[in-house]
Amino acid sequence: MSTAQPSPLELRLSAYVDGEAGEHDRHSVEELLVNDPQARALHDTLKRGADIGRQAFDDMLKEPVPLDLVRAIRNAPLPRRAVRLPQAPRPSIAFKPSAPRVFAACLLFFALGSGAGYMLGNRPATPEVTAISAPGASSRDWLDDIIAQYRLYARQTNHLAEIPAERAADILEWLTTNTGVGFRIPDLGDSGLTFQGARLFTAGGTPVGQLLYRRTDGEGDGDVIAISFTKTRPDGNRSIEEIRNDTGLVTWVTPLATYMVIGPSSAADLDDIAAKAAGLI
Amino acid sequence: MNQPNASTDIRRDLVALLPRLRRFALTLTGGAPEADELVRDVAGRAIQKSHHWKGEGRLENWLFSMMRSTWADEAKKRRRMDPDLVDAGCAPESRKPSNFVVSLPDGLASAFLLVDVEGFTYSEAAAILGIQPDLLATRLCAARFDLATTGVRTSERRA
Repeated sequence: MSTAQPSPLELRLSAYVDGEAGEHDRHSVEELLVNDPQARALHDTLKRGADIGRQAFDDMLKEPVPLDLVRAIRNAPLPRRAVRLPQAPRPSIAFKPSAPRVFAACLLFFALGSGAGYMLGNRPATPEVTAISAPGASSRDWLDDIIAQYRLYARQTNHLAEIPAERAADILEWLTTNTGVGFRIPDLGDSGLTFQGARLFTAGGTPVGQLLYRRTDGEGDGDVIAISFTKTRPDGNRSIEEIRNDTGLVTWVTPLATYMVIGPSSAADLDDIAAKAAGLI
Repeated sequence: MNQPNASTDIRRDLVALLPRLRRFALTLTGGAPEADELVRDVAGRAIQKSHHWKGEGRLENWLFSMMRSTWADEAKKRRRMDPDLVDAGCAPESRKPSNFVVSLPDGLASAFLLVDVEGFTYSEAAAILGIQPDLLATRLCAARFDLATTGVRTSERRA
């Protein structure tokens, strides 16, 4: 099939049909349509072609879409991405020193430096400096306890939860009283998670409440995802997203508590679950 | 507690747009199996790059552009492998598309679909197709005349 190059008049008429003609051109085309039968015939042909094409394309939408295509898109894994979790409020300090203050600070630091230098210079030489190590420093922290607890119970089939999901009122009272953290039991059915029950344990000497979910839909069917909360604060009061061994952990901090979502490191949607849970808990 | 923004799942939007994505893919490839493969490829890319989509403008705009450039790359690869192949956007006669609009030559169907059916402006449609607006206007006009002629022939055959 060959297509002839449209004439300038045809192009003008086509642009007019789309409302893409300029103001001046629009007037001149309208004039032509009144006075020139050939232009009118071309205009009608263009409109007819547009109608036929639209109808044909509308019909294409009625054709069935291959189911495997729909399934492939629905089940495609989402990329891991940074999710903005709620942060504990930080005091805002406006630091705008005036020139005299800067000068005074300079003088103060100069005086302090001179004094320190003088004192060090007069100090008798010591044979050796004793290294001071942090007492009881340990590579383990309370988050390790949380992870260990998760790893212990995530493998349980019959004894996953201490209080089953059916006793929601009991769970709320038991965990709120013992952890001091108010919470709701988030419905995470949208993420394919079914609530299984709750547990109470300690991490770093502080009570931790844990809500346990099992994945009943999508990839990783059967995986256990836990939401934990405690009064303990992570270092720096900041949210953490990390993988320890084969366990993934996403935390967020509020003025009242620290919350965590824990699951297998293969779960690519932990941050999504955390974002949802943060809005629901 | 501050509530996080509800995260939107692009997969849901993609499934909703699937018939239209497939229709645009058909105007590029001219054949259903290639169109489905192209849609699958572009949907996968869109999911992986969903963080680039800031929710400004129409999602279709982004997806159609990605589809056109993906198909252009694919066509280049095929041409390198087989120099006798025809240009992208022109359905080979052997494939016999089910709908006559898809068999319009030289990318006319894509231009027509974007402007007349999807409602994009000349400049938007030209940007999606990676061509100048003047060329788009020419293709659109030619498509309408072709459709007027082909449509009459088709209805005569049916009668």
